Amino acid sequence: MRRHGRASAPAASLAAVAVILWSGVTAPAQEVTPEEPAVADSASPRSELTDPAAAELDARAAEVAAELRCPVCRNQSVLESNAELSREMQDVVRERLAAGETPEEVKAYFVSRYGEWILLKPPAQGINLVVYLLPLVALLLGAAILRGRLRKWATAGTGERAETGPELRLDAEDAAGPPATDSGESEWLSPENQRWLKEALRE
Amino acid sequence: MKGRLRWLLPLVAVPILGLLTFGLTRDTYVLPTPLEGMEAPAFRLETLGGDSLSMAELEGKAVLLNFWASWCIPCRAEHEVLRLADDTYDDSEAVVVGVIYQDTEANARRFLAQLGGDWLHLKDPSQRTAIDFGVYGVPESFFIGRDGQIGYKKVGPVDWQLVRTMMDSLIAGPIPSTAASAEAGL
Repeated sequence: MRRHGRASAPAASLAAVAVILWSGVTAPAQEVTPEEPAVADSASPRSELTDPAAAELDARAAEVAAELRCPVCRNQSVLESNAELSREMQDVVRERLAAGETPEEVKAYFVSRYGEWILLKPPAQGINLVVYLLPLVALLLGAAILRGRLRKWATAGTGERAETGPELRLDAEDAAGPPATDSGESEWLSPENQRWLKEALRE
Repeated sequence: MKGRLRWLLPLVAVPILGLLTFGLTRDTYVLPTPLEGMEAPAFRLETLGGDSLSMAELEGKAVLLNFWASWCIPCRAEHEVLRLADDTYDDSEAVVVGVIYQDTEANARRFLAQLGGDWLHLKDPSQRTAIDFGVYGVPESFFIGRDGQIGYKKVGPVDWQLVRTMMDSLIAGPIPSTAASAEAGL
């Protein structure tokens, strides 16, 4: 019924991979409803929309709630989720802001109870930096490779042969391959890396 | 396939496969808790019996704090283990305390009438205590030491071996001086 009742995945087998992938895709934001919904203990404070101060507090609470992950959903924020737990968490956010806590302090409270996982956006520090930097590295690497290829194609198209610097002399195995590039590329990659990338791409 | 591709391909493929294999060994529904080793969050809640109970009143005892609901099937399955724990341990040393999660009082009472379980059950209608403990589903159980520190959190149903191991080690664990002197005074 609840997630906890679910059997853990068996060890490495292709069927298990398929099941995991499938369940990862299809596990919806299902919220199990109790037989009779529990009665909320107090009226929601969000009804005071006519009061500008309350509206301002609502806006700030929504901002924080949008950055918190709903614990019983997958990849939904506390703000978007209609799960009972999320609605209570929204109220907690609102109460804490009303009590004078900063948004950072409210988020820190949830992190202290649920772990960093509760933040939809992991803070850019420590091992998390990989997530932020890897796409940039890949983009730069891709641009460098593309630039190298384009230059070579352009050269090949005009029938010109670029002068091969002594440091770019090809070894015997690659003598039959396309010509080497002009020296302009070296500002992007060292000659050794240029050659390495080209060979990898050619293969 | 020749030259560099011969080692470039494994170089890329092996880490990815390794990562996927590692993923298979993990249950992604179980989240690590930052609360282990921390002081148990304070609470004061009403019991089903109409009294109130606070975390501070439990100091000096090992506590199995169990979040449950009548609509939760694994809770039904683990209930027998909790009963055994309640029967086994002396109340002066270790107690089982239930916290009713997202449930109506009527349903909770019906569940207990069916399955037994006369330890204290706390009502948490606003779920503030559940959120304080970082609960995201039921059953979840916290093993709290006599000094009020959370020793272990179990997501999902507990089994007797875990309960016995944890409770025995918590009972043997540190007792705060105030509670120890109160016990000696009895």
